[in-house]
Formats: sequence, C-alpha cells, structure tokens
Amino acid sequence: MQSSGLQPDSAVLAWAAQKFIPWSIKISTMTDGDYDYLIKLLALGDSGVGKTTFLYRYTDNKFNPKFITTVGIDFREKRVVYNSRGPNGSSGKAFKVHLQLWDTAGQERFRSLTTAFFRDAMGFLLMFDLTSQQSFLNVRNWMSQLQANAYCENPDIVLIGNKADLSDQREVNERQAKDLADKYGIPYFETSAATGQNVEKSVDTLLDLIMKRMEQCVDKTQVSDTANGGSSGKLESAKPEDRKCAC
Amino acid sequence: MTVEFNLNFLKELEQETVLEVLYRDQMLRKVDEERIRKLKTQLQQLRWKGAKNASHEYQERSCARCQKSLGLVMNRGAVCNGCSHRVCSECRICLNPYLWKCTICYAHGAMKVKTGEWFFEERAKKFPGEGRCETTGAKLLKSYQKLSKISVVPPTPPPFTESTAGKNTTELDQAKTFNKSVENLFLSLATHIRKISKSHDDVTADKSLLTTDYGQDANRRRERRSQSDTAINIASRIQNAPSLQQLIIGTRDNNAIFTKKGCRPGEDLPSSPLSDVVFSGGVKHGSLFSLNSTCTEADNFDKANVTGEIEFALSYIFKTCTLEVCINACKNLFYGEEKKKKCNPYVKTYLLPDKTARSKRKTVVRKGTVDPAFHETLKYKIDYSQLETRQLQISVWHAGVFKNRVFLGEVLIPLSSWNFEDNSMQSYNWYQLKAKSEDNQVQYSGELLVRAKMCLPSQPEKFRYEEHMMEGTEDQAAHGGQLHLVVLEAKNLPVLRSVGSLNSFVKGCLVLPDQRELKQKSPVLRKETCPRWKHLFVFDGVTPSQLQWAYLDLTIWNEASFGLSDRFLGGARLSTKEPISSTASNPQAKVLWQRILSRPNTWMDITLSLQSNKGVFTF
Ligand SMILES: Nc1nc2c(ncn2[C@@H]2O[C@H](COP(=O)(O)OP(=O)(O)O)[C@@H](O)[C@H]2O)c(=O)[nH]1
Ligand SMILES: [Mg+2]
Ligand SMILES: [Zn+2]
Ligand SMILES: [Zn+2]
Repeated sequence: MQSSGLQPDSAVLAWAAQKFIPWSIKISTMTDGDYDYLIKLLALGDSGVGKTTFLYRYTDNKFNPKFITTVGIDFREKRVVYNSRGPNGSSGKAFKVHLQLWDTAGQERFRSLTTAFFRDAMGFLLMFDLTSQQSFLNVRNWMSQLQANAYCENPDIVLIGNKADLSDQREVNERQAKDLADKYGIPYFETSAATGQNVEKSVDTLLDLIMKRMEQCVDKTQVSDTANGGSSGKLESAKPEDRKCAC
Repeated sequence: MTVEFNLNFLKELEQETVLEVLYRDQMLRKVDEERIRKLKTQLQQLRWKGAKNASHEYQERSCARCQKSLGLVMNRGAVCNGCSHRVCSECRICLNPYLWKCTICYAHGAMKVKTGEWFFEERAKKFPGEGRCETTGAKLLKSYQKLSKISVVPPTPPPFTESTAGKNTTELDQAKTFNKSVENLFLSLATHIRKISKSHDDVTADKSLLTTDYGQDANRRRERRSQSDTAINIASRIQNAPSLQQLIIGTRDNNAIFTKKGCRPGEDLPSSPLSDVVFSGGVKHGSLFSLNSTCTEADNFDKANVTGEIEFALSYIFKTCTLEVCINACKNLFYGEEKKKKCNPYVKTYLLPDKTARSKRKTVVRKGTVDPAFHETLKYKIDYSQLETRQLQISVWHAGVFKNRVFLGEVLIPLSSWNFEDNSMQSYNWYQLKAKSEDNQVQYSGELLVRAKMCLPSQPEKFRYEEHMMEGTEDQAAHGGQLHLVVLEAKNLPVLRSVGSLNSFVKGCLVLPDQRELKQKSPVLRKETCPRWKHLFVFDGVTPSQLQWAYLDLTIWNEASFGLSDRFLGGARLSTKEPISSTASNPQAKVLWQRILSRPNTWMDITLSLQSNKGVFTF
C-alpha cells in the first residue's frame, strides 16, 4: 500500500515532468513554496463576458477564441514579482507573489457553489462585456453578491469592461462604466483578452491595492494605541517630509 | 456562513471536473501550509534569540532585542509601540518617518502579512465564529471525502511488524508513490462520484442498518469481504449497502462494534477497513494483519503503580502528511519489578481507535533506569483531516524477562483539539502519567446536566414509595406516573476542529423491563459548543417499580448535514441495574437513579459524565 497521497515533492515532480505526465508538468513549475505571498484573486461576472479567456491571457499570454463553459469553478496560477514602494515612494523590496486566480462560472445554476468561493478571495476582477449592455447592468447584482459573500464589506475590486477590441459591437460606453466605477470607488479598465490590452495592468492594479491593504491591516493592529502615529489609510500621501527617520 | 451544500447538484462529469480543481487547490494549499509553518518557525527562532525574561529586564537597562546595555543619558533606547519593550537604535525598523517597530514586532507584522493571517483576521470580523483558516475548497473536499469516506490518502501507514527502532516510516519509492496517487485520484473520481449520488437513497432505505443489529451486519460484512479481492470489484463492493453504515459512521464506532462482538479474531476487519483496502491497488493488505495482537493486548500485562511524568512534543509535517511524536524522556517512573528495583522502560504509542499493529510504534528499551531518556521520534503517515477522529495513546512499559510486560502509565491526547499550527504546542512538555482507564474504549466526552423528577399523582394517603420499591412488591401500574427530565446543558462535548461548533440535540430512550422503549428527542440547538437545551422530556405512564428495573439512556448527537447520519457525541445511562457492560459504567448513575425514584415529586439536579462508546446505548 502506498502511503503518500497527493503531495508529490519536487523530486517526484521533476521525475513526472521528465516522463511527460501531462497535468503534473504545469504544476511542477510552481509547486515549491519559494514565494513570499500567496494572493488569491477571483474573477466574476456574467457568463460569456470573457473571464476564462481573460485569465488565460493573463497567465499564459494566449488567446483562445473558443467558448468553453466553465464548470462551477476553476483556477489558474501565476508567479509574479511585486515591487513594493518604500516609505518615501522610492522603490523598495521585490517580493515573489504566487497568484491563485479563481475563475467562476457565471451561470445561475452554479451560483451557490461559486459564491461560496468569494469568501476566500482577497481581491476581485468584476468583469462585464463591453458588447453586452445586459452584462453591464448585471454588475450591480454582482456587487451585492460580493458585499454579502466577500471577506469584508469593502473588498478590493477592479471593474473590467472586456472585449474592447470589438469596437464596432460596443454597447457600453466608457463614460457610463467609469461613472459606475467611481460610484463604487473602484478602478475601471477596458481590456481585451484578444489583444491583451490592459489585461496585465488591471491585475497589477488589483494586486497593488491588496498589498497596500495588507500592510495597513498589520500597521493598524500594531500601533492602534499610538496617539497620532501610524499610517492614515488610503489618504496616506499627506507629505512625507524628507526627514531621515529617527533611528 | 458555512458550506451548506455539497457537490450533489452537479452532474457526474461536472463533479469530476470540480473535484479535479479541488484537488489541485488542495495541493497548492499543502505547499502553502508548509511555507507558513517554516515562517512561523523562523519567527519563533528569532524570538528565542532575543528573548529577555522579566527578571532580567529590571536588573539592568538593556535592549530587549540584542541585550546590549543602554545608557541613562546617551543611547538610552526607546520603547517600541508594538511590544512596549525598550530597544536600542539598531534594533528598530522604520516603516515611515514617524513610525518604527522593534525587529521582533516588525517580523511579527511581516509574518502576519506573509502567512495571510491578516486576511483571516479581517474575515473573522465579518463572519465571526467561522472556522478561521479553512477554505471553501477544503471544506467541500472534506465533506465529499467524508461522504464517500474514501480518502485518496490512505489513513494509516503500511503495516509494519513490531519494530523497536525509532525511525519507523520507510520512504517508499517516491516516483511510484506519485504514479499511484495519480492513479488513485482517477480511480476515486471514476468510482465514487457515482456513489455520491446514491448515498442519500441508501441511507433512507437502509435505516434499519443504523440501529445496532450486529449479527446481521456481520454476515453482510463477511459477504463483502469475500468479494473484495480484485480491483474490478471495488466499485460494486462500495455500492453494497452494508458498507454504507461504515462509510457513514466514523471509525470510532466501528471500533465500538468490534469490541462489543467480543473480539473474535478473524471474524471481522479491524477499524476502518474500507479506506485501507480500497486503494491498495486491488490487493488486500494489512487489514487482517494483526488481529491477534489487537484483542489480547489489553489483558495480558501486569500493572505497577503509576508515578512519574513523560516529556514529549507533537508536530505535524504538512508537506509529508506526517504526525511526529517526539518522545524525549520520562522521570520518576515506578519500578517495573518493585522488589528487584528493576526497570527497563520503553514507550509505545497507538493512534486510537486503531489498535492494530499498523498503529503501534515503540521506542527502544532503556535498561535499568526510572528516568529514561529516549530522544526518539515516532512517525505516522496520516492525512491531516483524519487526525480529528484520532486519539494518541502514549504508554510507558517495563520490559521484563520472558516478554513479561508491566504497565507504568499512559497519557491520552485527543488530537481533535490539538492545535498543530500553534508553535507553542509543538514544543516539549511534561505530562503526568495516568493509570489505565478501565477500558480504553470508554472515553470521556463531556458532561450532561439534567434535572429529573418522578411525578406521581397526588393521593390522599401518603404512600411511602421508598418502601414499596425496596421491597419490590406492589405494582403501581394502576396509577402510573410520569418521569420528567429536563435536559439542561452539556459541557466539554467533543467538537470537530473542522466544524468549530455543534448542532446538537439529545435523545432520551427509557427502556422498560418488558423491553418497551419510550423515546424522546430535543430540538436541535445550532452553532453551540456548550448547548443549553433546557428541554423537558416527559415519559408518561410509568410506575416506580417499573422504573426500578428500567434504564434511561441519554445520548447526544450532532445533526449532520448532507443527508448523512447524525454523529454520536456521547451518552450516559441512568439505571439501578448493574451496567450491562462494564464499559457503560457511570459510577454515580445507580445511586442517582435510586434517588430520583425514592423522592417522588422533587426535582433533582444531576451531572452525568458522557462516554463515547456509542455501541452500549439505546437510542
Ligand atoms: N473578441 C474578443 N473575444 C473575447 C474576448 N474575451 C473573450 N472572448 C470570447 O468570448 C467568449 C466567452 O469567453 P469566456 O472566457 O469563455 O467567458 P466566461 O464565461 O466569462 O468565462 C469566447 O468565445 C471568447 O473567445 C475579447 O477580449 N475579445
Ligand atoms: Mg468561463
Ligand atoms: Zn538592540
Ligand atoms: Zn516591539
């Protein structure tokens, strides 16, 4: 009887990769724990807006024009390097970030399953299809789903209008979408999974928001009892005087 | 917000797809758990390095981190916001021009971010009382695995013969292992997804099986065994209804059944037979392996007095799915052979309820000492999720001549409540050795508080019921009374780590001398670990003399979701009879019952200790 189950270690994976065992190859490149942060993002929005295609573009930089319905949930992974900004806006340390990008099925049928995964994500890619007014109208509904199920009341979200390349079929104009995003106080991007336009930028922006939030969470808990010290949340950029720190 | 659904609503192929995703997610989580564990260890080490104890602090002014002494005027150091310790200027890290932290506080903060703890803390604010770190994926997978009770990871290590060496886990050919696990995964997907959709029907159709008809059950199990030899039969075997009872009822219960049957070797498989056999690639391994030692274990040894302590540490290596029991030393043991002042101690462990050789680990024997040092690590390959049904038994023995063993004491650790993520629990600790409990199957599982009263219709002349009962003469059947029992609350119930809280209810079953059963059930109290039902049971039309020979079983259950059978949490019996089985002895129970009967129309408050041996109770 074999005793080790699903935890092949790197040696095994290397071996498996050599033997071309299909699904282990993908994993083998990223199974080591050599990263600083595990960040879990989740893409949501109506079925057909391009979530799966978008994530595929982001992780593999490829476009798949075929429409394969996502069954319930799925995820893709990517390792990126995040450059934190130092106290004075100078470039700080570089961190290795392992991204787990959850893809969800937009269909109603899977709703109970997909929304249950909302609670585990640290940030959200809320996506609609620029060529479908309906998918845009549904953004509100997705927002309320998020408010109910995400880990906190105001999680980090990026609004994404996808299929920007299909300009002749556009049904949602930029102003409309921008206004909605402003109303929620979240960034808005128009992307194309087909051309790759803004794909990386939108994910990077979300990642940036999350990294900032993480630091604030920790700072807050650590110095909560100081009179006026500490970071002041998102409006932090007061004016970092060029005084050298006291120590 | 709990995961109140399973994968049943999906079609077969869809389930397969989703499960594949969940397993991939599990793999990712395993890697991450290991990373987090390392981070925490690093922080711990940093702490130790700079540790400064309180007494030290007031003796001299020094930096709490590097111990460098600080001046009164120059280089005085400053107090850290995070920990209020005074530290020197070198042990500070600037976050911004106005804020610094000491190295430890900084590392602590960094760790919170890196481990993702910040996220769980935030989430706990919105969803308090929810399992902190468990993800939806993990929960789903667990519920799925529980439903099918087939874990892809075999629960216990391969059968080892008695080995006195410390390093007990042999490293199998890793390539093979991996190959196997891929195979297993697909095998499990292919066969058990079908099962999932069936299980609901089976449970209802075979409800009778859930009561305790052991005889019938044994037959069926034998049947099942005879067809278990090839892989081809796996699917059909699993779809046999009888296995379902075991699929659903945990291993603990299997064990109870096993003991109840009087331990006839060869008659039955030991605990959790299914999960062991199914994935052995069609060849039946291990299960029948050590039946003899299983059953004789308990009785053929001498008992010495129990004194002393044992020092050990427990840790779980997530990456390799290994539970490590690090046995360091014992002290002040009682002499194994008192007259000769001889003691050759060794330590033995079991992962109860598995009492087979597979679950046994031993240290070497140390000769001629009552303060032996072992420095040995005993290892178990076991999936993390399965730890919660296990109890680690660590016992100390004297190895006498002619294989004469003398029991020197033991410690029982329920692993469900052990926090393997907490570093402090991974360090060495001394534990008092205890005498063997009457029967190892009887485990304490909390207390139940009840209030009882025997209600008799008020009658003009004052009957002296006590007398009647003592003499056992006149039957009061003509004017039967009522037994009132308020189930007040339960304490210290066993709570599964994965669940965090309980949805518990109480069943009361009054079994009269003519075997008539009067049953009552309380409502379910949701999300309470210390439920207070305050629910009244009324058993009507009973007379004191009937009750004299009756018994009342109170059992506590956790309501199961997913259409599974409810989980037994513990039970207690009130009776004047000697307990039918020595395993059901609740010493005060007899006295208490007597007292209720002897003082009609008076409320009595009673605390009963609950026992985990489900098999002896009627419900
Ligand atoms: N032209 C164009 N087609 C896209 C784009 N993104 C997705 N699609 C197509 O839209 C269809 C649905 O995409 P899919 O990713 O499966 O949507 P999902 O249901 O949100 O996951 C597919 O046929 C994609 O090829 C895009 O940016 N441009
Ligand atoms: Mg999709
Ligand atoms: Zn210092
Ligand atoms: Zn500090």
